[in-house]
Amino acid sequence: MSIPFLALPLVLAGIMPLLGKISKRFLPDLVANLTLLFLLGYGIFCARELVLTGPNLLQAALPDMTLNITLTLDSFNILLLLTVALVGLGVTLYSIDYMEHYDGKAIFYALLLIMIAGMNGLILADDLFTMYIFLEAAAIASYGLIAFGRKREELEASLKYLMLSAVATAFLLLSIAVLFGLTGSLKLSAVAAGLAALDAQGAAALCAALFLMAFGLKAALVPFHAWLPDAHSSAPAPISAMLSGVLIKVLGVYTLIRVVLTVFGLSSAIENILMILGIVSILTGAFLALGQNDVKRMLAYSSISQVGYIVLGIGIGTPLGILGGLFHLLNHASAKGLLFLNAGALEHATGTRELDKLGGLGKRMPITAGTSVIGSLAIAGVPPLNGFWSKLIILLALIQAKLYAGALIAALAGILTLWYYLVLQRRAFFGKLNEAWQNVREAPFWMSASSILLGAVCVLVGLGFPFVIQNWIQPAADALTAGQSVLHLPGF
Amino acid sequence: MHIFLLCGLVLCSILAILATDLLKAAISLAGASIFLAMTFFELGAAYAGVFEISVVAGLITVLFIATISLTKGEGEVKERRFGRYLLPVFVVGMAVADFLVMRQFLGALPALPAAPEAADLGTVLWSQRTFDLIGQIAVLLAGVFCVLALFRKRSEDE
Repeated sequence: MSIPFLALPLVLAGIMPLLGKISKRFLPDLVANLTLLFLLGYGIFCARELVLTGPNLLQAALPDMTLNITLTLDSFNILLLLTVALVGLGVTLYSIDYMEHYDGKAIFYALLLIMIAGMNGLILADDLFTMYIFLEAAAIASYGLIAFGRKREELEASLKYLMLSAVATAFLLLSIAVLFGLTGSLKLSAVAAGLAALDAQGAAALCAALFLMAFGLKAALVPFHAWLPDAHSSAPAPISAMLSGVLIKVLGVYTLIRVVLTVFGLSSAIENILMILGIVSILTGAFLALGQNDVKRMLAYSSISQVGYIVLGIGIGTPLGILGGLFHLLNHASAKGLLFLNAGALEHATGTRELDKLGGLGKRMPITAGTSVIGSLAIAGVPPLNGFWSKLIILLALIQAKLYAGALIAALAGILTLWYYLVLQRRAFFGKLNEAWQNVREAPFWMSASSILLGAVCVLVGLGFPFVIQNWIQPAADALTAGQSVLHLPGF
Repeated sequence: MHIFLLCGLVLCSILAILATDLLKAAISLAGASIFLAMTFFELGAAYAGVFEISVVAGLITVLFIATISLTKGEGEVKERRFGRYLLPVFVVGMAVADFLVMRQFLGALPALPAAPEAADLGTVLWSQRTFDLIGQIAVLLAGVFCVLALFRKRSEDE
């Protein structure tokens, strides 16, 4: 049932360079977009099946041959798979026009599909070492994509990300090795059972700390965030959208949540660490975003702040807090993806990302301006857009848990967020039009289409939030907190 | 013996980072790989040792040296001195932390509750860890495409 999420992008990535030989642009564009469209549609189909039949564990098999491939699919997984497919589709649509001035479109799509396959493999895996391998696959593809333009700043950002990722990998592998040594297994459930049966709290605490550092680096939580502003601002716009929209959430937040909750459980010590990391990230990211003149750099710092909200929500540990955190994960993915794509549209039209050179572009680029306002207000938490509801749930969870100081900080940071996003909109799209941009035109068709797609998601999820929470987010939170009741399905 | 091999591994790794000449750095890296392979053999992981020597110490070093020989210039990298002073301090700090934390911790590890998931290499690769093979294909493809992306011909538009 869930193998296409992994196999399809991987196989098509492998043949993408060959397609590029036949047709430099049309075939790669078509295949990449159809792949993501299929994954999104298939994800919706699988989600519907999950509602009907419950979570499942799939054992892949071939005739007369046992394949030890176990794919887990539950309401939490499917939420992430859908988020990856949705932002991925926005990115591939956008890339049709945006990547025209780059050579090697087929290679670009190949790397993008590997990144998606890596993320999907990581989401579906139930084994620590398998998760590590798919995490590396997605990460290696992302290094290449960040450096795709081969300018000095892109290469430097890619190298910085690679170096810090190597540190995260070292922590991760050390922790996996110790857990394997302790329990004799790598399966999440078996490791959890093994740890429960052992008297090894010290070793478990060390492993948890190593995991927190590794995934904190991948999620760019403060103080592990040094790589993110460079990487996200230097990469081509569709890749920035992918990095901020989903990569840091899947490689960082998802793995952190999955491993911590499944293997170690959400103890009060881990809850406190997550909440502290979350609050520090919210504030640091917001204050650093305020002073930025580069649009993409501002958005990158904003990502640190918003990931802080997600981790804070999870760290509260209550059902409402986890619900809010997961909902914000989905909302931030769509809104931040949209804003990075629009930042790319601005750069594509004007050749600059510096706010003091922009201004008044709303008249020339109404779709980009309109969708940017939607994305900004959504992230800032203005009703009735999607970000408002997730932030409200996180605030309510904080108040419910009697964490009033945390609630106050989160609310004040929300005001800061609104402030810098209003500054961004005013300086880029409103006011007097800069003489230099008299001849600027709206972004090309597909770039605008992808912005409209993600903008529509922000609006529709906001307006239909009770439906989304009831059918998507609540089951995901339940799957995460209650563990999964497993239904064995025959192989395909 | 373990301590000697690990010290050699760390020393060669530090030399590989500190060397400003690319050729010396590549040779130091090969040295580190040889020490690592010997550590693998010492710990009974013969397959891992063979792969480490043949692929990392052998093939990758040859590729590095071949690439360096094709580059123009002397291969000398100019860099700030700050890193050269910082790295040894960092390594010493890590060694102290390692000694204080890991030694105490590893000594307190309980014995394995059950035999680990291990068998001969073929069984592990093809039967027990099949899913990892798909991941490794993804990693290899990602590496190959990264090289293709970074060394592609530059178009006039870019």
